[in-house]
Amino acid sequence: MLVIKRLMTRYMPGMLTCQQVDRFLYDYHEGQLSFAENIKFKFHLSMCTDCQAYVSGYKQTIASIKASEQIEQRPEKIPEDLVQAILKSIKR
Amino acid sequence: MSESRLVDGLLNHNDVAFETLVREYGGAMYGVILAIVNNPPDAQDCLQKAFVQVFENIQSFRRDSSLKTWLHRIAVNAALMLLRSQKRHKTVALEDYSQHYNKYGERTVFATHTAHIDTDSADGSGNNIEQLFERNETKTTLHQLICQLPEKYCNVLLLRDIQGLSTKETSVYLDLSEAVVKTQLHRARLFLKAAFLKAK
Ligand SMILES: [Zn+2]
Repeated sequence: MLVIKRLMTRYMPGMLTCQQVDRFLYDYHEGQLSFAENIKFKFHLSMCTDCQAYVSGYKQTIASIKASEQIEQRPEKIPEDLVQAILKSIKR
Repeated sequence: MSESRLVDGLLNHNDVAFETLVREYGGAMYGVILAIVNNPPDAQDCLQKAFVQVFENIQSFRRDSSLKTWLHRIAVNAALMLLRSQKRHKTVALEDYSQHYNKYGERTVFATHTAHIDTDSADGSGNNIEQLFERNETKTTLHQLICQLPEKYCNVLLLRDIQGLSTKETSVYLDLSEAVVKTQLHRARLFLKAAFLKAK
């Protein structure tokens, strides 16, 4: 597989290298790749286990960051003593 | 009270309008601040400061943006200011965790040398991430890790991935180009990704 990947990335027109995959990764994750770029990106991924691991690690990291903020709930209202403290600090 | 009547009241320094504002928008602003500072007492302090700013700057509110948007930005700024004041001496030296490639663009092993892409700490003697994990008996939380990134990386990550702002909104809030937001966010994510792997 490695040999095939090497041959393809070097000689097949339009085949992305791992480095180019990295450059496309941000836009891929944002859903901002063009149709053609998206196909090239996915084609490389289907060939390359290194990039599969790399991309899935990237996605997991972002998911963990986003999940970390779910712990604290966002209140509808703030407690009354805080309301009073704020009003007091304004009316100084 | 409608938003436009509320704004009229605020511009006239009407006490009832201020109280309505605090009660109706305080919860949302508190949530925004808490997500950034990650500590309820600090968040309460910060919310208080944010409202003082609201009242001092209400004359500069333009009705072409919504009150909610304006308040959101003030809350975010107040929270980032607080983080900045806490940041001194706590910033890690960002190792260059980006991947390395051979001349064919194939992945090679992580470079063993550490390139410092930024050191915001005053004396330049930042700590690397391994030391941070070792030193802290209790597990470094993700939020602490994010806050130890140099400020510019920390800020984009907080606004994009935690507040869920778009690249464009983040670029406006932080007064950066969208391209810079993208690059910094990508680097910050790669850094955390590497830090996660090491922490496992
Ligand atoms: Zn690859």
